Amino acid sequence: MRKNQTILALIGLATVVTVVPLMAHHAFGAEFDRDAPIRLQGPVVRLEWVNPHAWIHLEITKEDGTNEVWMVEGGTPNTLLRRGLRRDCLTPGTEIIVDGYQTKDHSLTRANGRDVTFTDGTKIFLGSSGTGAPYEAEMLAARQQQGRC
Amino acid sequence: MIAMSGFSSDVKAQVQTQTDGQWVMPRTADGRPDLQGNWTNATITPIQRRRDQDAVYSLEEASRLEGGRAARTEALNQPSDPDRVAPPVGGDGSTGAAGGVGGYNYFWIDAGDRVAMFDGELRTSLIVDPADGRYPSRTDASRQRMAEASQFRRQFGQYDNPENRPLAERCIVSFGSNAGPPMLPNYFYNNNYTIVQTPDHIMIMTEMVHDVRIIRMGTPKPLPEHVKPWFGDSWGHWEGDTLVVETTNFSPTQLNRGQLSGATDNLKITERFTRADEYTLNYEFTVDDQETWTDTWSGEVPFTRLPGLVYEYACHEGNYAMFNVLSGARAQERREGGRQTPER
Amino acid sequence: MSADAQTAEIPRTQDGRPDMNGIWQALGNAHWDIEPHAARAALQMQPGPVVPVPAKPVLAFGAVGSVPSGVGVVVGGEIPYLPEARAKKIENQENWSERDPEIKCYLPGVPRATYMPFPFQIFQSSSHFFIAYEYAGALRNIYMEDPGPAQVDSWMGQSVGHWEGDTFVAEGSGFNDQTWFDRAGNHHSASMTVVERYTMTSPDHILYEATIEDPETFSRPWMIRMPLYRHVNEDARLGQFKCVEFVEELMYGQLRKNPIGSEEGR
Repeated sequence: MRKNQTILALIGLATVVTVVPLMAHHAFGAEFDRDAPIRLQGPVVRLEWVNPHAWIHLEITKEDGTNEVWMVEGGTPNTLLRRGLRRDCLTPGTEIIVDGYQTKDHSLTRANGRDVTFTDGTKIFLGSSGTGAPYEAEMLAARQQQGRC
Repeated sequence: MIAMSGFSSDVKAQVQTQTDGQWVMPRTADGRPDLQGNWTNATITPIQRRRDQDAVYSLEEASRLEGGRAARTEALNQPSDPDRVAPPVGGDGSTGAAGGVGGYNYFWIDAGDRVAMFDGELRTSLIVDPADGRYPSRTDASRQRMAEASQFRRQFGQYDNPENRPLAERCIVSFGSNAGPPMLPNYFYNNNYTIVQTPDHIMIMTEMVHDVRIIRMGTPKPLPEHVKPWFGDSWGHWEGDTLVVETTNFSPTQLNRGQLSGATDNLKITERFTRADEYTLNYEFTVDDQETWTDTWSGEVPFTRLPGLVYEYACHEGNYAMFNVLSGARAQERREGGRQTPER
Repeated sequence: MSADAQTAEIPRTQDGRPDMNGIWQALGNAHWDIEPHAARAALQMQPGPVVPVPAKPVLAFGAVGSVPSGVGVVVGGEIPYLPEARAKKIENQENWSERDPEIKCYLPGVPRATYMPFPFQIFQSSSHFFIAYEYAGALRNIYMEDPGPAQVDSWMGQSVGHWEGDTFVAEGSGFNDQTWFDRAGNHHSASMTVVERYTMTSPDHILYEATIEDPETFSRPWMIRMPLYRHVNEDARLGQFKCVEFVEELMYGQLRKNPIGSEEGR
């Protein structure tokens, strides 16, 4: 597949592209229900930068007008810390959009952060290729001007 | 972008004056090579080679692999559609670890950007012996042990009890063979280590689940047979400028897991640490258990300087996932009305 | 023994520092309660017909679960709590079995890790000062160069060390608010900072002092002080107390497919 086609194919897929190790990480498929997709939008109310998974709490307004807090599962904050995560990076009050799937236990308002972005669609954090590519420096500078990490 | 702001201070401290462009081995006060500081063994190179693959990549192949990973990162950094709807009912088609629900964003992953370069060679596998770069054959006895262990596990559904979950998911030890021995990358993230060195001890801390290996220097005083710590009992000595570590007395749970599944009490792992240059620690290992593998097997893994800190990985303390997995399995069983057949 | 003679005996590393490498442990019972206290029947009590008696979660332990008396390790005797914080400490005690992080094998934090009833090992080189605790595999890499403020709170905090003469000083910050100081409900906020001082007073003794500052919880900084003792037996080694496995029934037992005690789980 030519490089351009690869990128185009990937752009629609803002998710973990599988790197299948010998020792499988815990199955997301065990924790989350593929028949219970969600799309959430609302302000961050709490951040838990913990392991084994960070949890971002956001408040949504339901159809009946009441509010509900959802917890969204992320990855290890250690990776982000080495890429410059700071306390002021994603503060409570910041509005985010999450798409993913609810936990199999539907009594919990928890979901995987399949794709977590700001309201303009940009990712809440950037990956790093470790190559020091110019585009990365530009992207980072642009984000810092917006007060993002 | 690499966050250079947290660059390990001991790198600066250890830069030696270079005369005629020759790197000088930094040494501790007792004259030994200084292996201390933060290291990473993250790499694209897998543990085992594909069949009929050469031992080394050509420059073009390696560039293509590294470029592919960089391209993937670039692609997945692009903005998403802010008007996107929820993903499909029935799953989003993602496979492997993403589990059909799409896992989480790629920016959480840090699986390594580089093919492993060892002694100037771009390696296609971490295993170098057997010559085909693959695990050697197992003895019939070891296959029997593995079958018995498998039979034991089959009496349970994989979500029936916390004890049926992988050790890493239970936050008991690191992913795979991160802490080892042998110390291998997990191909996900946090493949980082801190080494502290004194005249009579080497301490190796693995970031994942804060596993600590304490290696005592000197003539081994064997532990009683029934004392079997996690990561085994390790003794080290110097051979010239190479630290040699021999480990025995592995815990039975460790011998029932991953690469070491089916191994016996006779398992002995030898590791060799040689500081190759300013930014590289050459790590070699040999796994020896004649009752399990028909031959010893060995690997070579470059550990490179970690440009950053190693952070706390307090796993159990924040393990919502364990609760979610177990409660989810119970919820699903209730929805399906009765006992769920074990997933295989 | 005169102070001079003691100082002359202290083993030193090749860079001239007191050599604290080795396995150490606190004696006494600060881990039960760091304030002076009389012996009592249990960590959690309930009203009894005549006097308070051990509460149900601890009843079966009998005397094994009783709290020994202690002169305390808090310099000046009492922890200077702000009024609301003292009320919370009492609440913690009343709900000990649900609240003490030690029960769930959570990381002990600082300074509790130092005086847990388990040894720890110091790895001291010219570039590193690393402590591995036997309890729950807790550890601290005390940085010899300040990497800047911690951007995320952690259980064991982030500590930066330096030498003041023969005293190793470690300044810790970036702690979360989840740890306790002991089994008596003594607590702190995420604003806490801890300054520890390790001073070898003889080849086999370290005087340990820790000053705690937390304006959200206490009216002023306060200090604990205790000796640490070297394990001198030849076969001394740090064991492993990986207690996460030990608490799975407690934490997840109800989520088993067949919980123990349920009809199917018998």
